[in-house]
Amino acid sequence: MLSSKLLEVIKKPAPIGPDIDLSKYELGEPKIYSSLDVVDELNNITSKLGIEDTSKFSYIQINENAMYEALRNVLGNYGVKVIPLKKALEELTYAKDLVWRLVSPETDKYTAATYLYGGELGYFIYVPPHTRVPIPIYSCLAITSNKKVQFAHNVVYVDEGSEAQVITGCLVPHGVKEGLHIGISEFYVGRGAKLTFAMIHSWAEGVHVRPRTTVDVAPGGEYVSYYVIYSPVASLQTFPLTILGSDSKTSTTSVIAGSGRGVYDVGSKVLLSGDNSSAEVISKVVATDSSEIYARSDIIAESVSKGHVECLGLLLSPNSKISSIPSITSKKPGAILSHEAAIGVIAEEELEYLMSKGFKEDEAKSVLVRGFIDIDLRGLPPTIRYEIEKILDTIARNVVGI
Amino acid sequence: MLKVTNLEVCVGGKKIVKGVNLSVGDNELHVIIGPNGSGKSTLLSALMGLPRVKICSGSILFNDVDITYTPPYERAKLGIALAHQNPPSIRGVKFSEVVKNMIKHCGCSDFTIMSKMLRVDDLMSRDLFVGFSGGERKRAELYLVMLQNPKLALLDEPDSGVDVESLNIIANAINSLVRRGSSIILVTHSGSILSKLERVDRVHLMFDGSIVYSGIADEIIPLVFKYGFRGIVEKIKKS
Repeated sequence: MLSSKLLEVIKKPAPIGPDIDLSKYELGEPKIYSSLDVVDELNNITSKLGIEDTSKFSYIQINENAMYEALRNVLGNYGVKVIPLKKALEELTYAKDLVWRLVSPETDKYTAATYLYGGELGYFIYVPPHTRVPIPIYSCLAITSNKKVQFAHNVVYVDEGSEAQVITGCLVPHGVKEGLHIGISEFYVGRGAKLTFAMIHSWAEGVHVRPRTTVDVAPGGEYVSYYVIYSPVASLQTFPLTILGSDSKTSTTSVIAGSGRGVYDVGSKVLLSGDNSSAEVISKVVATDSSEIYARSDIIAESVSKGHVECLGLLLSPNSKISSIPSITSKKPGAILSHEAAIGVIAEEELEYLMSKGFKEDEAKSVLVRGFIDIDLRGLPPTIRYEIEKILDTIARNVVGI
Repeated sequence: MLKVTNLEVCVGGKKIVKGVNLSVGDNELHVIIGPNGSGKSTLLSALMGLPRVKICSGSILFNDVDITYTPPYERAKLGIALAHQNPPSIRGVKFSEVVKNMIKHCGCSDFTIMSKMLRVDDLMSRDLFVGFSGGERKRAELYLVMLQNPKLALLDEPDSGVDVESLNIIANAINSLVRRGSSIILVTHSGSILSKLERVDRVHLMFDGSIVYSGIADEIIPLVFKYGFRGIVEKIKKS
């Protein structure tokens, strides 16, 4: 029996990251609304992600309440479905074949808890074959009450030859001190399809976060991922896996701004399964206050393929810590893998240079941090690029206290 | 405008500049020449207040204000600008971003004319000095100095490592700075730019950390080219 197995799994700490006592958190009854109007001050919640216009969102989940009306008609014109997963499982036969296929409920206590208690909230996005969706699909997952656990199980399927951009913001509004967010994500990128996924996290000092993600990229497909966290957390641990078929490629970029006393254990793992597949894993991490950052990356080549890891860290506080853990493994002659990792401080020469141009010390540091965390956002539409750039600007100011 | 008195400057505990006295008036162009390692760049760094050099003794007055220990960004605000000899390559920081910030700080209004004069428009989208050629580096650095609309521009080897075309562009920009009313201290060891300048008010020969001779360009430059730095210093000592 799966459930009895899961009850055993749920008792054991996960292999990586601080252990969380799940019994400390409250879980409400999952509810689904078709309108976004049921939550007051929605604008205040989403503006923390730099997006004040809630009408841009296709799916919003506040605690255990899912809302999904906005943009439905616009996206419907392209045959795109954006609905709560629970509803998808009731209405769409193909949805059942896509859940818990890439992420096993038995993976660890968090996946087991989501399977047993999550009520299959989260979003389900389906993009039909040969469809280029011209507008980004926004979603927002928020915890608005203290000591809540939020489960979100997200499934995205971009069918053959299609292209879509999904932007997800996960956050707590100001005033929420404690909470637990567990997100299970199963993404399918069809043959020759492309999925660009950007996730922005803004939590609080007492919030634990445990995303579990697997992405399956079919031959000729492409998965581009951006992940940014710019808030304190109690702890965050995630190590998403991307499996690449032949002639497919992925690029994953993470920007981690550690602050407070948070433990940030963030990584990216890629399995180069098909011939001519390629992967690039980039992480830029900045540690301030007493934060601890573990930047993991792991590329495994099982085919004639290429992979590169770049992990750069900037330690800005004597009480903080950065640990870079890059790993590359080849099981196939002909595969070319490389990695580059460096942890440093702001270069005195660069600081001095900018100060000679009239920048005050803090301004100069902020410019240099902004330069350090600069990432190639050319794969994103201009509106999202602008929003992420605003967040990176905020990170650069925050870490030097201006 | 600038009065430097008995200035001694140390780098890493070693005295590099030894008792320099120097006065620069409004809208004057002074040239400091000397061999490599004679302390010219260290002197300019000290005038800009860069933290890597330490003033051991002496004083620097700028428009009668003692700036001997004033931080560099305050000196920049007062109107002093330094064109670094080797500005650092800074990844991720766009040249345009620094330009934008400096225009905001300095309120420079004719930045588009200056960018055309120094031919830096094509460099705007690139990371600061990353992969710049010798000429691009010098022109971009001089552009940043011009954006500051400086009362006193300190130009450290603006003519080294550049081709003839860039040298002409740089000389034009320096002449323009003078016409706009800036005072200039230009450091060079090759002297290749001097013939292209419209005016040089004073030339100082720096050797082993000290200014050993000050005079007009026509007096000293031909002798330097004839006898070399060491030769001319020996002649000065004998006389």
